[in-house]
Amino acid sequence: MKKTWRFRLAMLIGKMAMFAQKVLGMNATYFPGKLAIRICPDFLGQIEKPPMVIGVTGTNGKTTCANLIGNILVDQGYDVISNKMGSNINAGIASTLISGSSITGKAKHAVAVLEIDERSSRKIYSYIQPQWVLCTNLFRDTVTREAHPEFVFQLISESLPAETKLVLNADDLISSRLAPNNDRVYYSIERMPSDTEVCENIVNDMRLCPVCHEPLHFEYVRHHHIGKAHCEHCGFASPASQYEAAVDMASGVMTLEGTTYPLMGDSVFNAYNILAVVVLLREFGLSGKKISASLQKTQIVKSRYSSEVIDGVEVVTHMAKGKNAIACSCVFDYVRKEPGSKEIVLILDDYFDRKNSSENTCWYYDTDFEFLADPSIKRIIVGGVRAWDLKVRLLIAGVSEESIICTPSEADTPSLVQLDADRIFILHELYLTGAAMTVRNQIADRLRAGERQKKGEMPHDH
Amino acid sequence: MIIEVLYPSLANLYGETTAIAYLRQCLPQAEIIPTEINEEPAFVTKPVNMVFLGGMTENTQELVLEKLLPYKKHIQDVIERQIVFLALSNAMELFGEYIEKEDGTKIQALGLFPTYAKRHMDVRYNSLVLGQMEGFKLLGFKSQFSDSYGDNSQNYLFQVLRGSGLNPGSKLEGLRRHNFMATYLLGPMLVLNPAFTKYILKLLGAEVEQLPYEASLQEAFNRRLAEFEDQNTRY
Ligand SMILES: [Zn+2]
Repeated sequence: MKKTWRFRLAMLIGKMAMFAQKVLGMNATYFPGKLAIRICPDFLGQIEKPPMVIGVTGTNGKTTCANLIGNILVDQGYDVISNKMGSNINAGIASTLISGSSITGKAKHAVAVLEIDERSSRKIYSYIQPQWVLCTNLFRDTVTREAHPEFVFQLISESLPAETKLVLNADDLISSRLAPNNDRVYYSIERMPSDTEVCENIVNDMRLCPVCHEPLHFEYVRHHHIGKAHCEHCGFASPASQYEAAVDMASGVMTLEGTTYPLMGDSVFNAYNILAVVVLLREFGLSGKKISASLQKTQIVKSRYSSEVIDGVEVVTHMAKGKNAIACSCVFDYVRKEPGSKEIVLILDDYFDRKNSSENTCWYYDTDFEFLADPSIKRIIVGGVRAWDLKVRLLIAGVSEESIICTPSEADTPSLVQLDADRIFILHELYLTGAAMTVRNQIADRLRAGERQKKGEMPHDH
Repeated sequence: MIIEVLYPSLANLYGETTAIAYLRQCLPQAEIIPTEINEEPAFVTKPVNMVFLGGMTENTQELVLEKLLPYKKHIQDVIERQIVFLALSNAMELFGEYIEKEDGTKIQALGLFPTYAKRHMDVRYNSLVLGQMEGFKLLGFKSQFSDSYGDNSQNYLFQVLRGSGLNPGSKLEGLRRHNFMATYLLGPMLVLNPAFTKYILKLLGAEVEQLPYEASLQEAFNRRLAEFEDQNTRY
């Protein structure tokens, strides 16, 4: 394509902005691309892309999947560029491509692995035609941004380039129906012992058949609308899967096409991420053996989870993404199913809203706080400006009033923990990770100081 | 006491399911009838005391209108008989004249109120709302792809003190006729506003001294109200 003078100028300014940000020690993740697109609106179209482009999108898991795909490809010797340090909207992707280009606009890498924000689909796929797009899943997300899954579904479906091959989750009855005319492969996980007959979650956006609106018949439900279903009225059904994996949570492995892969985590969400990555890379052309070998060497970023046993008490921090009813429900489900007695610290305020607005808390009412009304949970300490709204939600969920303690600041929660349970879970919003770590450290200090014994609580094995 | 929840598998986008669970806790003796989209509404054949309809996707709005238009006379009758009807978020738009899409095409609505809606799928309108209704303050959230226009000065639900009403230029929110109430406010408004929930229960003839967990609801409301009344709070 003939490059316009606007493009050349945008590239020059973008490169300069990137250089300036690097000199200033800033992450050049967004701003250079934003400038470039402002100067040349079809900058993403004119810049040369690497010969192979992999897109990763979906409500949950896209960052983990994109990072794993990138890591494995690098481990296998591919020359990869990715937006893992940057943003996943069009400006972030422009920044990534600027850093991966020569000043004349030539791509320097063989493969691009791009995490793509669902809401930015139109602005990205109009200019970039990935050979493969992996969509991990589509769920309810932040109502003020993503509105509802049908909106996001239509946006992606209408924007995807016709030539792109899709890698889709057959167990997700929403995202599996994306862009029906595109070439595709499906993956799924065989029936698991934890599957249920009926949906235990408040939210299931596939209760009705999308074709005839009669109730869908679920053969099993994994969580929310994830599972296998068909319509007895019109014949609509979950798609057949070309890659059906067997997952063994207890031993932490997944088997697919005779190859074993490490799961690197013990949640269903995580198993789907690993499977999605493996299938995408199988389609890319790597052998199962190579993928498995590279996976063994890779680590999942642990910022979302930490665990340490101190004086007989396991102190766990677990990210529970705020404004995301699905992610929080899955974390609550995980916590209730963990063995032993528990104390929970909830730090779920939206960091930005509490500075200058008042958080829209609709999502509380789609989140399964009912899972926390469990006899194993002795106490829930809620810290933050929304503590009293959360208390109301917990009461509706059936948690007893005596076991809920509210404080307007999460900084006060460590002193409210009673240290009388086997486990302490600190469940926190992404942007309050730092605050949650401070809470964790203060609780750890209390345990290390032997406060548990002073209170007459004997540590015991679990 | 019979409460009909219309289309609970579809019209539940903004926390309505738990709002109904709370209503059930308020009225443990009530029978709650969920009506699915392919079923005939209970209000057509049964003496219901309340009808509830929550927020839905834009495609679902069209589907629901297809289902409800044949029952327009019955809905009018429900309203005239002073039966409590609560329609939240974009369910309100179904009771106006029409919904105009971005390409100018119009989806015929029930035509029970002289208002109409206009969609803007590229712009999600999000806002807080502080209102005044018959002796109590109301607070809630909006998150929507559309606004409503037309004259609701004779039949609005409440006056807006901060935020906006039917559209960003309006200070009158919602629709009201007898005990029919519709507002763009999202699902949890019942839980957020103990005074409004008590008001609904009174209309149902089920007045209570104390709502379930009322002290906690009130404390949450008071704290939230202070935020909503703070001039520094971004709406
Ligand atoms: Zn069907």
